[in-house]
Amino acid sequence: MRFSPVPFLRRAATTCALLALPVLHGGWLSGPQSTFDVKGPVARTQLDVFYVTVWVTMIVFVIVASILAYATLKFRTKGPIDKNSPVPDQGHGNPFVELGLIGASIGALVFIAVPTLKAIWYTYDVPAEQRANAYEVTARGLQWWFQFEYPAEQIDGSGQLVTGNELVIPAGRPVRINLRTSDVIHSFWVPKLGGKVDMMPNRGNHLWLQADEPGYFWGQCAEYCGESHAVMRFRVIALGAEDFAAWLENQKKPARTVAPVADAPKAAFASYDMTPKKRNSPGYTAAFDADPMGAWTALQFPEKNEDPTLIAQGRALFKEKNCITCHNVRGHEGIGVNAPDLTHFGSRSTLAAGLLENNKSNLHRWIVEPNNVKPGNKMYMGVNGMAGYMEIDPATKAMNGKAHIAVNDTEARAMVEYLHSLK
Amino acid sequence: MATATLKSAHYTAPQAVKPATRPWFFTRPAAKTGLVSWLTTVDHKKIGLLYAVTALFFFLVGGVEALMIRVQLAVPNNTFISHQLYNELFTMHATTMIFLAVMPLSAAFFNYMMPLQIGARDVAFPRLNGFAFWVFLVGAIVLNVGWFTRAGAPDVGWFGYAPLTSVAYSSQFAGDSSTDLWIMGLQILGVSSVIGSLNFIVTIINMRAPGLTMMRLPVFTWMTLFTAFLIILSFPAITIALVELMMDRSFGTGFFEVARGGMPILWQHLFWIFGHPEVYILILPAMGIISEILPTFSRKPLFGYPIVVFSGAVIGFLGFGVWSHHMFTTGLGTMATAAFSLATMAIAVPTGVKIFNWVGTLWGGQISTRTPMMFALGFIWMFMMGGFSGVMHSAAPADAQQQDSYFVVAHFHYVLIGGSIFALLAGIHFWFPLVFGRIVSEFWGKLSFWVIFMGFNVTFFPMHFLGLNGMPRRTAVYDGNMGWNSANLTATIGAFILAIGIGTYFTVMVYTYLKGKKATGDVWDARTLEWSVPTTPPPEHNFHITPVVHARDAYWYEKTHAKEIAAEKAKNAQAEESHGGIHMPSQSWFPIITATGMLIGGLFFAHHHFLGAIAGGCVMLLGIIGWAFEGPGGYHLHIAKDGTVTGGEGQDAH
Repeated sequence: MRFSPVPFLRRAATTCALLALPVLHGGWLSGPQSTFDVKGPVARTQLDVFYVTVWVTMIVFVIVASILAYATLKFRTKGPIDKNSPVPDQGHGNPFVELGLIGASIGALVFIAVPTLKAIWYTYDVPAEQRANAYEVTARGLQWWFQFEYPAEQIDGSGQLVTGNELVIPAGRPVRINLRTSDVIHSFWVPKLGGKVDMMPNRGNHLWLQADEPGYFWGQCAEYCGESHAVMRFRVIALGAEDFAAWLENQKKPARTVAPVADAPKAAFASYDMTPKKRNSPGYTAAFDADPMGAWTALQFPEKNEDPTLIAQGRALFKEKNCITCHNVRGHEGIGVNAPDLTHFGSRSTLAAGLLENNKSNLHRWIVEPNNVKPGNKMYMGVNGMAGYMEIDPATKAMNGKAHIAVNDTEARAMVEYLHSLK
Repeated sequence: MATATLKSAHYTAPQAVKPATRPWFFTRPAAKTGLVSWLTTVDHKKIGLLYAVTALFFFLVGGVEALMIRVQLAVPNNTFISHQLYNELFTMHATTMIFLAVMPLSAAFFNYMMPLQIGARDVAFPRLNGFAFWVFLVGAIVLNVGWFTRAGAPDVGWFGYAPLTSVAYSSQFAGDSSTDLWIMGLQILGVSSVIGSLNFIVTIINMRAPGLTMMRLPVFTWMTLFTAFLIILSFPAITIALVELMMDRSFGTGFFEVARGGMPILWQHLFWIFGHPEVYILILPAMGIISEILPTFSRKPLFGYPIVVFSGAVIGFLGFGVWSHHMFTTGLGTMATAAFSLATMAIAVPTGVKIFNWVGTLWGGQISTRTPMMFALGFIWMFMMGGFSGVMHSAAPADAQQQDSYFVVAHFHYVLIGGSIFALLAGIHFWFPLVFGRIVSEFWGKLSFWVIFMGFNVTFFPMHFLGLNGMPRRTAVYDGNMGWNSANLTATIGAFILAIGIGTYFTVMVYTYLKGKKATGDVWDARTLEWSVPTTPPPEHNFHITPVVHARDAYWYEKTHAKEIAAEKAKNAQAEESHGGIHMPSQSWFPIITATGMLIGGLFFAHHHFLGAIAGGCVMLLGIIGWAFEGPGGYHLHIAKDGTVTGGEGQDAH
């Protein structure tokens, strides 16, 4: 027999090892949205089911693949087809072998089915015994950002607490998230905390998840929702009980007003980079990635070198440029509901729906040329019949190419200062 | 001439209807070569080639779209193309590959091979067969015409989830008709598929050669039959959905329109009750091709034929009961999720059965690893991997993490490239000598196989890890800090290797067609009837004498019982001639005229010019009327003892 299994197996093992190299050393499974680096019971249950499927299919694969490889190599003939060479046995099959294999396949599937069924019920809703302890929030998808609503946190005269693009939840407690959408289908996905559930129009979906420990988690819309679907991202920040309470208390306050002072510092703001960026140029920095939670925490407190004059200018511009029609800044002029609530914008670690790190340079870029950051965004294109940065022709309901709002660098600098003062 | 002496009661004299008495527009075209012969053809083999060439063209178009996607994703935050163009590309890549490449390429094999495999002279409705092709071409044009307009190609995803397809969310500007073109194109393609499928079903049920009982059918013909049934049962669902959507967009109904109380989830149910069987529409023909190639190159009958056929039926049947596994994340609730999860696992059993039986076919055989066999073996390996990742997301909780991630992209490309495309490439290689009388060089064939095999795995294997590492699908850009960079770059490099492999494959095919080594007859020592044709390429009437089938691998039986068959054939030749010779269908202009009406009407309707749409409808109606009144036509051919063919259109009409 020409075929000997030992070198074949050795070669197969080497190939597998080579294939495994990039996975283990290249960090192919350890990113901020890794489904393996689970941080909560829902994601963990889903991963456990995945491992069961992997083991069962791997075992079946090794058996079938070995037989297939063996048969191919053992029964292979070299040389051309010779019609006169002796013909192999023209057997048509063996019913016992076939029925046995069907039985074995069903058996293998039962191994997967049992944990699957258990996990379907577990991951669907908060377990009954923990329901009383669960915290409820609503996540709403819009083209292309997320709004988070806290029905348990009512503010006198303003309804529930509303934030955008960063969901802050209590750690160590189940969180039940109602999923809603105001336009098309979106999907809420925080891989480290749990699998996705879609936000369907005319349908009240929900999911639950729980973060074991305080932490900073990456999330992303997982259902194609139009032009800028790729950059519809968000973050989840899990806080310990005390920190969460403190955060809520601050968020429920109206927007912060910086009182003018006589000897205010000047020009501290000028240090940031205002040069126009290339389309799609990244909005993250290594320092932020190293300690996102630290960066988020630092943003909860007012900056040291605030310039009250510039902030006041920015606040006036925010009104003058018509930002207030769509953005709510509770306690200030902003009253809109079509766009993210900016009451405590300065305390968020990202902007433009988790796309850019919330620093002055990025915010400047977002205000000056939003369409270059997130193509098709409603701030630029207009929303619900209202014009954005571009004019909308009333007859055709289409943009006519003329600018409706333009923000120059000086104006943007003041607006950046104002928005960053909203801690 | 033989006709003069051999007349029977069944034979109507040629004088019954004189061709000259027919009005000019009912004159049947008689050209056998040149452009007119192709435009008016009713020959299943010519139609098969038309399907094949069109499908391969769109396969290359879809491939270029895929390469542009991979270039954009090669590095994080790339600016190679815009988000909008990216969205158009992934929409059209999927739509093109599914509806304009794999399905018509399967249809090409159905058309060309199935009648030969059942010993028939043509399909049951030859003009309808031509019509199916022209309608397919019309659908392909309507789908792609957007590339040349201001709106660009459709950008709603091949799945077109409502309400993103509504006027409010799918228009970049007023009068953006890209989505209307997508809706219209798919409806027209549905017409083509249903017509073609009905034709195949009637052909297989009614036109089998004597002795060819159902349980003697070649497995490829079985899979043609199952696929055809899947198409006629599943396409109505998407047609309803598309018509409802068209009404929403054109006339302001509220099926899916949220503001009018529509239910977007309804679209998903209708779409996937079509969309899941569609997956089997893409893979069953491939399984049929593999079930022909493996026995041939193992010189052994298919292991467990009845169970392979039955599992094909079970796959087709279960395929209608698993659609909601595409919707595990839409909030179906526990019970429905559990039911669809279990049903999806169940479908792994008949699929596994097929793999076991293919391995059983190899066992104890005389395996000759020629190029078609290499592709077939590659198919089994890759399809197995795609099948196993399929089992992984049949478990709904695991799928909650995988759905709409690159893990799914990896999975279905293993099934659709590693599965369908490998099998179709194997089929092209396998039947090339039969269709063109030339054989592809082994060296270049094997080289293209290995490059394709390697490129494919380098492209799609890393995508499993991308998905599990949280990368969602349909995203034009990604950040460089997500751990996705090296896997994406690897995939892009792989895509170019794959492209080189595909390029080599088709260059070799074109070269072989023009200058390849001549090969006649049964080059592979094959087992089924298509190889028993008198010449390669086969004559228009396929068989001089209708074969009589005595066993499952009919041609293998003929070869092993040569004497007995020769005597039988001589007897049948006489009988056939005494019935007036070989009855052949006449060519016709009306299929292409009717299809042209659909093109005009479809394009006008998609742009909401309803008068133009009515004009197109009139052309179509005119075509149908002409079709009805030109009569069935037909003529006779006569085969002399030495094999010379006489007779033809206009010479011997009745």
